[in-house]
Amino acid sequence: MTFALREHTADIAVAAAADSLGGVFGAVADGMAAAMIDDDVPATGAQLTVSERAESREAALYDYLTRLLYERDVQGVLPVDNAATVDEPTGGGDWRVTASARGVPLDAVHARDLKAVTYSEMQLTPPGGPTHAEAGTPPDAVREHPDDWAAYVVFDV
Amino acid sequence: MSTFDADGHRLTEVEPDVWALADTGDESVPARVLANRSLLAQISTDNTLTQLRNVAGMPGAVAPALCMPDGHQGYGFPVGGVAAFDAEDGCISPGGVGFDINCGVRMLTTTLTYDDVKGREAALVDALYDAVPCGLGGGGVHDGTHADLDAALERGIDWCVEEGYAVPADRRHCEDEGQRLDADLDAVSKKARDRGASQMGSLGSGNHFLEVQRVTDVYDDDTAAAFGLAEDQVVVLIHCGSRGLGHQICSDYLRRIEQEHPDFLASLPNKDLAAAPAGSELAASYYGAMCAAINFAWVNRQLITHAVRETFADVFDAPDWEALGMDLLYDVSHNIAKRETHAVVETEDGYSLAGDGERVERELFVHRKGATRAFPAGHPEVPAAYREVGQPVIIPGSMGAGSYVLRGGSQSLGRTFGSTAHGAGRLMSRTQAKDEYQGGDVQDALEADDDIHVKAASGATIAEEAPGVYKDIDDVVDVSAGLGVGDPVVRTYPVCNVKG
Repeated sequence: MTFALREHTADIAVAAAADSLGGVFGAVADGMAAAMIDDDVPATGAQLTVSERAESREAALYDYLTRLLYERDVQGVLPVDNAATVDEPTGGGDWRVTASARGVPLDAVHARDLKAVTYSEMQLTPPGGPTHAEAGTPPDAVREHPDDWAAYVVFDV
Repeated sequence: MSTFDADGHRLTEVEPDVWALADTGDESVPARVLANRSLLAQISTDNTLTQLRNVAGMPGAVAPALCMPDGHQGYGFPVGGVAAFDAEDGCISPGGVGFDINCGVRMLTTTLTYDDVKGREAALVDALYDAVPCGLGGGGVHDGTHADLDAALERGIDWCVEEGYAVPADRRHCEDEGQRLDADLDAVSKKARDRGASQMGSLGSGNHFLEVQRVTDVYDDDTAAAFGLAEDQVVVLIHCGSRGLGHQICSDYLRRIEQEHPDFLASLPNKDLAAAPAGSELAASYYGAMCAAINFAWVNRQLITHAVRETFADVFDAPDWEALGMDLLYDVSHNIAKRETHAVVETEDGYSLAGDGERVERELFVHRKGATRAFPAGHPEVPAAYREVGQPVIIPGSMGAGSYVLRGGSQSLGRTFGSTAHGAGRLMSRTQAKDEYQGGDVQDALEADDDIHVKAASGATIAEEAPGVYKDIDDVVDVSAGLGVGDPVVRTYPVCNVKG
């Protein structure tokens, strides 16, 4: 899985790709963490786990990332080394996200606020799209293999 | 008439510095950009004009949809966007208000002059940095319980007065006297409360700052006197919002709109504009939650004000802050939607601010997203202290360019629903800024060349907020003044700046 920070006039965007839907969720979350810190991340912090349910893939991604910002503010930790699995709904139910991260205490880093996840220009594209060598559109710019999932999320700074 | 073409958009200058966006048939109301040609060229480099066009296509919009001269791309609404929707037949848009509900700025006066501060800038900026939590973590000025938080959400500055963080005069110098009576605690989620409880009195990051400034130019002696401002005077600017509490409220309601009003959402030009139909239960609930967040943001800025006052008293060996004359000049909001009554003309399609027909009073949800209310002299909602001269309007610039205090202009109600710009407006992305600037270099240059002392939690933030990433604030203010929506009173220049 991989991510890159992308330009946005006042805010910041994360483009990410991975070989699974859960992988791309985790990659976006790692990009979100990277947008909050420029220094090396210390190898400290305890594991935190979260789970979310939502009615669509995009809503599941939105709720998952928003939940990480909530945990950041309430627990006082920066969630890094994110990993997620996403289960498709069966029989008309919700998409389910189960995720873990390492919560680095905020007092151990110089971190900047990132306010919120937005739906602005959000893209979550399944395998089959062009790779970065074939297209320059934001979500595909980091897709290395045609079988990767790709995502593009703008965050409010 | 002069025209301007940009990436599929044609604009026509219908009067000096007023540009009409060509109608494509998707708009409900006309869209206007207030800018000179130079600012328009900058505004048109990103998606600002598309976003303005989308806003003009929202249901119940009252003509026109506007972009202020400091406009730039946001999400949903452009930053610098002003749009009004009928409170009966229109909508209210959490996407339009944005995440940082009641992000705003306030100015404190002092009796100090620049000579009093010169030579003590380093001590002052260090002391302010230590006193005011900024960046991520670090808590707030008030270590609050959930009961404190609820009181703040409900009562705003009133709670601060009771707790000793404010004096009654602060309340009188704040929009709505620092309390939105429509706040509804039941509409605020537990998650939002959890996030707000540990952030009562904290600056945050991004473009938020605390800045000590000196008045360098006075353009209107009488109004400056009414505002308590004079040349060479030291003042303090505080810019921040409702922190995680407001961010969570916006996120909560974006999702609720998606779940509870999918058809209405689908009818909007863009999902980012998520709105609840006027009159719906969700619209009422959002309005109550937003008002609670507005109260929280006022409390947040007031708690920082308290810390700043105490710090000044310490640094300048004063018996107390009152001895330094640290009064609140005014507190303005940038990201809000508000029920306001405006005189509009009924048209075939709804209502319009422009036109020669008979005017009727309509209650509107006026959305100001990165825009400032700028009510003129005589308006009953301008605090009594300023009613004869007009509402103070504070326009912060970059940390190298200074800021302005305006007064609400005589044309503001008829042109912009009583609004003007909120700052210089970004010109460059944050990633590009970090490529072009090094935080340490910017910090050193500001101190060596301009005698501006900057302290920040993150060097990257200094780079992202370098003076060169913003538009020319003089241009922004010139347009505002030329159109009569905000008249310059004084200009200020930075002395010390604290950033998150």
